[in-house]
Amino acid sequence: MDTQEASRTLEVIRTLMERTTQYQFLTARAGLAAGVLACIGSVLFMFLDMADPWAFAAVWALVFVGSLLLTCVCTVMRVRERGEQVWSRQAQAVVMALTPAIFAALVLSVFFFVQGWHLWLPGVWMLCYGQGALATSVYAPSIIRKMGLVVLAMSVVTLALGPAWSVLMMALVFGVGHIWLGLTLLAAERRAQRSLRVFRTVA
Amino acid sequence: MNALKRLVDENDLLLHEPGRLAIVSVLAAVQSLTFTELRDVLELTDGNLSVHLQKLEKPGFVAIDKQFVGKRPQTSCRLTAAGREAFAKYLQHLEAIVQQGRSRPGA
Repeated sequence: MDTQEASRTLEVIRTLMERTTQYQFLTARAGLAAGVLACIGSVLFMFLDMADPWAFAAVWALVFVGSLLLTCVCTVMRVRERGEQVWSRQAQAVVMALTPAIFAALVLSVFFFVQGWHLWLPGVWMLCYGQGALATSVYAPSIIRKMGLVVLAMSVVTLALGPAWSVLMMALVFGVGHIWLGLTLLAAERRAQRSLRVFRTVA
Repeated sequence: MNALKRLVDENDLLLHEPGRLAIVSVLAAVQSLTFTELRDVLELTDGNLSVHLQKLEKPGFVAIDKQFVGKRPQTSCRLTAAGREAFAKYLQHLEAIVQQGRSRPGA
């Protein structure tokens, strides 16, 4: 066995172990779609008044629901492509890990709207998103942990910059951030497929 | 003595076969998996998986438990302590080969 074969075998072992423990159905398509939706949401505020709580709530609620729906559709499509279970062991673990962060985000959103502080919400959403991403990091690809850390750091920046920057930061973190996540997942998917294909031809 | 020679000496060649190595890699990441889950993760046929599992069961690397869940029989597979040890050794050998290659001049 030469060095190249040994390192290729180690990579395949790693891929197989990750595939067993990690939730692998977070698709690049879902990341890209969420990023594009967040960018569209931000662009809409060139025509809408972000100080209007109803406009702010409507746009970001549509972005959130749209991203969630697209993620679900892409996930189900991917799971069916591979002929696996939608509500798998890993899927249950990921949902359980995400639930506290989503619950906190919902409660805080209602509270901030009631208080009239809605322009501070992007920083709060980023805090919850970062926390949720880190909570799933045991089951998710390492890129999600990195994304969680970056979003947590950006939440501090967003809160420090204040309401005037909230829409721009949403575009940067949830828009550009998700597009970057989608592209990274796409590259990882292609890499994993290539190494497993090589391994299976030998097996 | 090179790394491959050590593999032969320690009778770890059993793990060197890609199908069996894939089974051990997957089982090393979890406590146990059912036969169906293992088959689906590895995309192997029932027959192929059975043969590999039997070969891994013989030296005690894998334990296979059969039980009833409700009225349906279920076969679950797990890596034994001996299997984990052999897998860890195998990984060390692979890493040694990679290290050797890196430290070689011109590599």
